[in-house]
Amino acid sequence: MREFLLLIRSEEAPKANLSPEQMQEHIEKVGKYLKKLSEEGRMKSAQPLEMEGVMLSYKNGQIVDGPYNETKEIISGYYHLLAKDLDEAIALAKEDPRFEEGIWRVEVRPIKHVEGIN
Amino acid sequence: MSQASKNMGHELASHFFRTEYGKLVAVITRYLGSSKVETAEDIVQETLLKATQHWEMKGIPENPKAWLYVTAKNMALNSLKRTNVHRDFLSKSQGNKENTSDFVISDELISDSQLRMMFACCHESIPEHSQIALILKILSGFSIAEIADAFFSNHETINKRLVRGRKQLRKVNLELLDRSLLNQRVNAVLKTIFLLFNEGYFPSIKEQAIRFDLCLEAIRLAKLLEESPLIEDKSELTALLALMYFNVSRFESRISDSGELVDLKDQDRTKWDRQSIQTGIQYLNQLSQRKLVSKYAILATISANHCVATSYDATNWNEILSLYDELLQLENSPIIVLNRSVALAEAQGAQRAIEVLEQLKQTSDIGNYYLYHFTLAELYVKTKQWTEADKAYHKSLEMAKNRRDRILLEKKIKFLVPYLPS
Repeated sequence: MREFLLLIRSEEAPKANLSPEQMQEHIEKVGKYLKKLSEEGRMKSAQPLEMEGVMLSYKNGQIVDGPYNETKEIISGYYHLLAKDLDEAIALAKEDPRFEEGIWRVEVRPIKHVEGIN
Repeated sequence: MSQASKNMGHELASHFFRTEYGKLVAVITRYLGSSKVETAEDIVQETLLKATQHWEMKGIPENPKAWLYVTAKNMALNSLKRTNVHRDFLSKSQGNKENTSDFVISDELISDSQLRMMFACCHESIPEHSQIALILKILSGFSIAEIADAFFSNHETINKRLVRGRKQLRKVNLELLDRSLLNQRVNAVLKTIFLLFNEGYFPSIKEQAIRFDLCLEAIRLAKLLEESPLIEDKSELTALLALMYFNVSRFESRISDSGELVDLKDQDRTKWDRQSIQTGIQYLNQLSQRKLVSKYAILATISANHCVATSYDATNWNEILSLYDELLQLENSPIIVLNRSVALAEAQGAQRAIEVLEQLKQTSDIGNYYLYHFTLAELYVKTKQWTEADKAYHKSLEMAKNRRDRILLEKKIKFLVPYLPS
């Protein structure tokens, strides 16, 4: 089994236009999906990210805030999954019912294991 | 076990978010003052958003309600700090203390706030259309898109109604709604609840689920009133509850699998919800002990007569007819005469009903209403006056706006063709 990081991306405040009823549906269906992944032993962790936070970079000899992306895209959470290979990880990601809402992008990236560090 | 699966055992009650939205907006508006109702709506939307973000990954917490209230309360406190506005609510209950964290959200405060909000939304200064939109948006947690769907309307129209409604709502002082004022205005609130119920009861192909939810919301709001110790005379309310339960019991059977409206005559009575009928009867029993004659009580009794009849033919039409006569004494409206004509046809024959309806057209503008011509057409079919029936169906078709009604009418017209002179 290999490890994968799935980054949940969307425009800023993606759920702002969902009604309370739709938000509840979202929680219920995504929750069910994540539960299934857990039960199959594929889920190492899944966490939401807070909206606050900074982007740091190094410029002219010091650490500065920014630069921020031009787009308003943010990462609102991640899944840390186990899968056989990239194809299987992609297939698992595609099962995420959040896609039905049409406002999400999920980036699937294999985690590279370097001998002696992990 | 992973973090995500730890709390997955907890589940949300159905419509939890929607209902809590309404409770939270009522409480937070109480806290900020009705002039800040929009801020309260934003705070609650933000709260639910935050909950969604956390719960989708971490699972639903053990006490989701407490989670929402703590989060919303903190946001409200921050909003107050930012605008530096201290509303009456705080100064009254806590003097001029800067510390606002003792604002306790109890079940009593939630019920009381919802009740006040309901009366505020039904304030006489707010147009009827706006009243219903406000109630659905603020107390029932529907989005603008959902309200637009339920009313065959669009985002812009509904938003306009809300903007107009909120403008008036901001002027209503929630704290001034005392016991005597609430009791004076309870009938206005019942009227709005009944309108809301009827919006849901005449269903469409589109968004059927949401329409049914409107009926359930109307019942939920009426029950809030029922539970309130502030309302003194609950007889009208009890009658309205009985009526709504009887009507809602037939909801399932009123729409065919293909989404068409089914006539009472052709409904599968085994699909009627016995429990709702039973609840309706219980309310009605509470009522008859007080010998009350009111519009809702009569309508409820008519509906009860249908509910207990084992078949269409076994219906007690004479009893229903005399109930309609009683209703006409209270409110002489063409719509009631129209509805009465169906019972009249069953009790005394279709020809008699046709005569009454022909006469009704002379004395009112009911002739502009598609259901008038529809009812008339049905009566002509009964008396085998095919040409007249055909004419009346066509007239109805000209006036019908709803797609479902048009489909039904076209079907009826087609059915007549073999009987018409060529």
